[in-house]
Amino acid sequence: MNKIMYLEFERCIGCRACQAACRECGDHDAKERNYVEYVDFTESRQTFPMLCMQCKDPACARVCPANAIQITDEGVVLSAMEEKCIGCRNCTFGCPFGIPKFDFESNKMYKCDMCYDRTKDDIAPMCASVCPSEAIRFIDFDEMQQLRRRRTQMNLVEGKKPQEGNKWEYVPEFFGVYTDSQR
Amino acid sequence: MSQFLVKEGVKNQIRKGEKLITTHCCYCGMQCGMHIRVNEKTNKVVGVEPRYDWVLTRGKMCPKGVTAYQTVDHPDRIKRPLIKKNGQFVESSWEEALDLIERKFKEIQSSCGKDAVGVYGGVSMTNEKCYLVGKYARVGLGTRYIDYNGRYCMSSAAGGFNKTLGMDRGSTLPWTELEHSDCFFMSGTNTAECHPTSIQWFWKAKDKGAKLIVADPRETPTARVADVHLDLLPGTDSALANGIMHLLIKHDYVDYQYVEERCNNFAELKEMTAKFTPEVTSKITGVSVEKILKAAHIFGKSPRSVVMFARGVEQQRKGVDNVSLYTSMALLRGQIGKFASGVATFTGQGNGQGGREHGQKADALPGYRKIAVPEHREYIAGVWGIKPEELPMEGVSAYEMFDLMKNKTIRGMHVICSNPVVSSPNINHVTEAMKELDFLVVNDFFLSETAEFADVVLPATTWAEDEGTTTNIEGRIIRIRKVVEPLGESKPDWEILKLIAERMGKGKHFQYNEPREIFDELRIASKGGKADYYGVTYEKIDELDGMFWPVPELDHQGTPTVFKEKFATDDGRANLAAIDWEEPAEVPSREFPLWLTTGRVVFHYLSGNQTRRVDFLMEQCPEPYIEIHPELGSAYQLENNERVKISTPRGEMTAPVRFTKAIRNDTLFVPYHWGKELSINQLTNPALDPISRMPEFKVCAVKLEKLAK
Repeated sequence: MNKIMYLEFERCIGCRACQAACRECGDHDAKERNYVEYVDFTESRQTFPMLCMQCKDPACARVCPANAIQITDEGVVLSAMEEKCIGCRNCTFGCPFGIPKFDFESNKMYKCDMCYDRTKDDIAPMCASVCPSEAIRFIDFDEMQQLRRRRTQMNLVEGKKPQEGNKWEYVPEFFGVYTDSQR
Repeated sequence: MSQFLVKEGVKNQIRKGEKLITTHCCYCGMQCGMHIRVNEKTNKVVGVEPRYDWVLTRGKMCPKGVTAYQTVDHPDRIKRPLIKKNGQFVESSWEEALDLIERKFKEIQSSCGKDAVGVYGGVSMTNEKCYLVGKYARVGLGTRYIDYNGRYCMSSAAGGFNKTLGMDRGSTLPWTELEHSDCFFMSGTNTAECHPTSIQWFWKAKDKGAKLIVADPRETPTARVADVHLDLLPGTDSALANGIMHLLIKHDYVDYQYVEERCNNFAELKEMTAKFTPEVTSKITGVSVEKILKAAHIFGKSPRSVVMFARGVEQQRKGVDNVSLYTSMALLRGQIGKFASGVATFTGQGNGQGGREHGQKADALPGYRKIAVPEHREYIAGVWGIKPEELPMEGVSAYEMFDLMKNKTIRGMHVICSNPVVSSPNINHVTEAMKELDFLVVNDFFLSETAEFADVVLPATTWAEDEGTTTNIEGRIIRIRKVVEPLGESKPDWEILKLIAERMGKGKHFQYNEPREIFDELRIASKGGKADYYGVTYEKIDELDGMFWPVPELDHQGTPTVFKEKFATDDGRANLAAIDWEEPAEVPSREFPLWLTTGRVVFHYLSGNQTRRVDFLMEQCPEPYIEIHPELGSAYQLENNERVKISTPRGEMTAPVRFTKAIRNDTLFVPYHWGKELSINQLTNPALDPISRMPEFKVCAVKLEKLAK
């Protein structure tokens, strides 16, 4: 498995299907782990989705005093292990993307695990599966590289330069990478 | 029970102890493919799984689709018939409810004539049911008064297409071709929110360099990514279309060979558009001359283009004219009937296409036949086993039925799959009319605002509890599968209609045991009509990933692209529209100085009777709001999120304002999915299009007032 979560913010239509779908994932306890926000509703209807970057050296795991946040062989950063999590919420403060959330009822954190029960079998995560505008995609590394080159090429063809109102087209995409492909 | 179907070679997550049933979403015309997860032990619906193999949507779903399954086992479901006694609903048996309906309907019909009982249908249900509603009204009850909620949805598109192209199929091309188009001219459609999964096709084309032109008073999520956003004033579509055609002619973008061979009226059109210079167009529409020029040149130069529109242009007093003019734009460019180009409307309701073809309309019979044409009457009467003279004549349109309720022409009513007390314009009038009724029966699975007025509420099934077919946004006939058995004592609408018809002594015309038998009758009834389903079978639908009508022969493979050789008019030629612009029925005045337009949000569907009961969707959008430009807000000294009062001569409401620069500074926008005091339809204008009888939801003049502290 060498797949990428590929986000293209400009495409986001703000429908929040990714959030609704996140609740549907088997391991997700009907709680969404991603979010969609307006950049600025007063200015425009531009929204953007955000999900876990599956960092290589994740801040959430680094700041966890109980070592409760495990990383799988494929590089997926999982929710805190129930038996280890002490409910200190360090992870929710540590993550620069605001991904880990805290369940006050059961006193533990939960976060995006890239739908590990799906992706471990090479089935796309729920958010990427349903995203109507393909703002979130689950694609091969090579396809991602191609898409990035294509973007540059299209800009060159059209002689475009960033201007007020279209700067989103020039923001580099974020992505999380599965590092290991032993499987 | 349904057969279990997941395509070979497609990987899906199937959890232990569960099975997947292949079906489509219950909501909009996209009819996205989905699997419903069913627990094998309890036989309950437990969730949804994407259907990656469905050609049109490829697993994509909007938030309504993802949560659609939650309505099946919902605690609000009506499980037994309800009879109103002393103003309270009391659960009863089917026997008791049917006895009452039989007695009341017979009482009304014997004292006031057959036409005193009316039927109000809907198109968020299968072809089988829609077809049967028409037959139920005309044969079961023998009334002329039948119409349906599509009158508020698709009737202007139908009118415009029939006028120009001679046939009304919502899209002249299959949408899987859209990725090969070079330009989309979209007007009055916020497809990103109203048909979210369609967006993937526009992006596929855009990734290859296609251009997007969007005409809308708001910079919607659709318009936001457009190459040109024509921010026109509500109600000025025909001026814009004429203005673009003026430029197409001026700059020689007209495909003269195509126009000469296949179109009538070019000279008239040229004469009419002559006065719509960019300056004049700009003055009427409020769009800058530069933008109009840019749009016309992009559209004119594109080798393959698709003109698309939706309720924004159709829900106007001149909706049919707007549709005819936009369609003429595509004709001038010689686009209709060719690869990856054509004209299309975005079908609002799940089966908005199929539901309007098979005789739910006041003036129509199955297969898009006309009730006023003797040969058509004779054919359908033959299929139904009655004499042509027994078949009632044409009735009146949906909104006009309420006038007839008010003056007691219609005294009994059966509402099926619709919620007109929320979805009609000027609902204060509609509510009063409903109160005048002597007897009201409503089929629904949730207690809608309309059902609250009912004397009897019959528990219908959700889409997941019955078999059938629908016809999607492209004109593709697809299969809806039964996922679980009906909840409680609920019954599918076709069975309810059959039971009532039996009570009315017409049982021999309604001898069905399953939807397939109704479909087989529909196939015969539509045979030879414009919307010909004769060659469609459930098996062929599965085999071919849906079938595009017309399918006139049993071995016919369907017609993905229509009008390839000729149009469906009498002379086989398209009629170009030479129509002047006229202003909307109501324009801003001193007292009502602003424009008001209404529409949808992505989280709700139509009158909200289903989506307002889904937690996720209500969390995202719990109540209506007023979109307003901060400049206008400042002029009224408003703060963001402040509650204000808005009013028209018909009604008023209060709601919070939301400041956004993504709307014209002279226009307010309010979504319409709520009922009673939260309904913007208290304010909307019921001015009707003379041809389609579509009310002017999209434009009226409004007054905004700050509330006293």
